[in-house]
Amino acid sequence: MVEVVKQFASGIYNLLLGMFTSGKHLTRHAITVQYPKERWEVPERSRGMVVLLTDHETGRLNCTACLLCMRGCPSGAIDIEVEKDEKGKRHLKNFTVDFHLCCFCGLCEEACNFAAIKLSRKYEFPEYDKKDLIYDIQKLQAAGLDVPYEKPVRNKVEPKTPSAAPAAAGTPTADTPPPPPPPAAEGPTPTEAG
Amino acid sequence: MAEELRTEDMTVNMGPQHPSTHGVCRLVLTVDGEIIRDCVPVIGFLHRAIEKMCENRTYAQCIPLMDRFEYCTSMSCNWAFCLAAEKLGDIKVPERGEYLRVIMGELNRIASHLIFVGVTPMDCGALTPFLYTFRERERIMDLFEMTCGQRLTYNYIRVGGVAKDIPPEFIPKCREFLGIFEEKIRDYEKLLVDNPIWIARNKGIGIITPQLVYDYAISGPSARASGVNFDIRKNDPYSIYDLFDFDIPLGTNGDSYDRFNVRVNEMRQSARIVAQALDQLPDGEIRAKVPLKFKPNPGEVYSRIENSRGEMGVYLVSDGGPKPFRMRARGGSYNHLQAVPHIVKGLKIADLVAIFASMDIIMPEIDR
Ligand code: SF4
Ligand code: SF4
Repeated sequence: MVEVVKQFASGIYNLLLGMFTSGKHLTRHAITVQYPKERWEVPERSRGMVVLLTDHETGRLNCTACLLCMRGCPSGAIDIEVEKDEKGKRHLKNFTVDFHLCCFCGLCEEACNFAAIKLSRKYEFPEYDKKDLIYDIQKLQAAGLDVPYEKPVRNKVEPKTPSAAPAAAGTPTADTPPPPPPPAAEGPTPTEAG
Repeated sequence: MAEELRTEDMTVNMGPQHPSTHGVCRLVLTVDGEIIRDCVPVIGFLHRAIEKMCENRTYAQCIPLMDRFEYCTSMSCNWAFCLAAEKLGDIKVPERGEYLRVIMGELNRIASHLIFVGVTPMDCGALTPFLYTFRERERIMDLFEMTCGQRLTYNYIRVGGVAKDIPPEFIPKCREFLGIFEEKIRDYEKLLVDNPIWIARNKGIGIITPQLVYDYAISGPSARASGVNFDIRKNDPYSIYDLFDFDIPLGTNGDSYDRFNVRVNEMRQSARIVAQALDQLPDGEIRAKVPLKFKPNPGEVYSRIENSRGEMGVYLVSDGGPKPFRMRARGGSYNHLQAVPHIVKGLKIADLVAIFASMDIIMPEIDR
C-alpha cells in the first residue's frame, strides 16, 4: 500500500515537473521568423544560387573558359561553350548552369582560380516553368552583379613568371598560369544581398 | 446465428509512408489483434545508387554524394570517406584540420542525437521535446552554416583536411552554445526520464541482449545500451580521439529506455569533447596539399568511424585512377533493422513504434 502511494506521489511530482519545465517557456518570446514578411540574414558563406562574377573595372566576366568548374561539378550542372578565335585564343560563348541538377555543393567555386564563379547568398529563385531554371550566361551575369567578392591577388610568390605579374590588375586570360590554391572569394565582405 | 467465431492472423503494411518509420521503410506485419506475430522489413524505397555513382566520380566529387548517404550526420559520412581516401593515398592531415574535424563531427553527433531525443518521444506521443531539441539543433546548424555554408549537406571535410577554416565568430558562438547546452539536456531529462508515462512506454520494452548485439553486429549507442562497451573512438581510435578525455555511457538492460538515456548522456560527452577541442585548437594549416588530380595508390582499404548510429565504414578499392574502382559504405542502421523483427515478436504495434524509434534507424543509410 505504501508503495502504491509512493509511486502515485512520484508520478504526480514528475508530471508536474514536466509541466513546470514547459511552463517556463510560456513567457518567453518566440524565436521563429515570420518568413515572407521577415527574413533572416544568411551567413556570409551561405551557398545559394550559382552566379558568374564580373570584373568591376572592365565590365567583362572574370571567366577564362578554363573548364575546371565544369569538370569539377559532381552533377554535371555546368555546361560551357567555348569558341576559339583565329589566334587560337579561347573565348567564352555560353555558360549555362542547370539548377535542376545543381546540388549547391560549392565545388565549382573551389575549382575556379579566377574568382569567376561563386555561390551567392541568394536562395529564392523559384520559377513557374522548369525551363526557366536553366540559367544562361546573361542571367548568371546579371545575378552576379551585386555579389561582392574579392579579386584574388596573384603571382606574388611566383618569381619564375614576372611577365604574368600585371595580370593581377587586368582581366585574367586563359594563358596565365593557374596559381596554386584556389583563393576563393570567401573573405568577410559585408553585404546586404539576400 | 450460431456460427462459430474464429480469429485469424492479419497482414498489414506499416509504411512505406508512415511517420514513424523515419524515411520510407515498409514493415509487413502479421498481427493477431494488436500482437505482432511476424515482422518483415522491406527496404529499398530510398535507393539512390550512391555506391555506383561514386565509381563514376572523382574522389572530390564523391564527397557531396556522401552527404546524402545519411543526412542527419553528413559530417561523419564525409569524414569516413575521406579517412578511407587518405589511407589509400598516404596523406597526413594537418593538426588543425584534425581538430576542426573532431569539433564538427562531435557537433554533428549532438545534432543527430537531438533529432533522436526529439523524435522518439514524438513517436510515443510527447510533442514538447521535439520543439525544444530542434531549437537547440538550430544553433548547431547555424554554426555549420557560418563555417561551410549549408545547413544539411555540408560537403565540408575534404581529402587531406577540411574545406574552409572556421570564421572568427565561430568559437565564441560555439562556447555560448556549450554553456547553455547542459541546462537544456537537464530540461529534456526532466520532461522524460522520470516521467511515469514515458517509463511505462519504454522500460523493459524491446530488450536487446548482449548476445543479440553480437549476433546482429549491432553497434553504436544501441549496443552500448545493452552494456556492450564498444566505441570505435576508444577501441580503435581514429583521427585524434586519443587526445581527449571522455567517457562512454553504458546502459544495463538494453531496453528502449536505456537506449534513450545512453544517447542523452552521449550528448554530454560530445559537448565535453568539443569544449576540449576548442581549448586546444592549434593554429596552422587546415588542409594537406593534395594534387588536383588525386590518384591514390592501387589497393583496398576499410576505414571506420563511430557515427551517431553506430559503426560507419567505407570500403574503397582503387585501381590507381582518379575515380574509386569500388566504393562500399556500411551504416549502422542496416544491422539494427535486421534485429527489429527479432525483438518485436509478441509485442504490441504501439511498442514496435517505440522500439523502431529508440533504435534510431534511418532509412537513407540502409537503402543508400
Ligand atoms: S573554373 Fe572559373 S574561369 Fe574556369 S571556366 Fe569555370 S568559371 Fe570560368
Ligand atoms: S554548386 Fe556543385 S553542383 Fe552546383 S554547379 Fe557548382 S559544382 Fe555543380
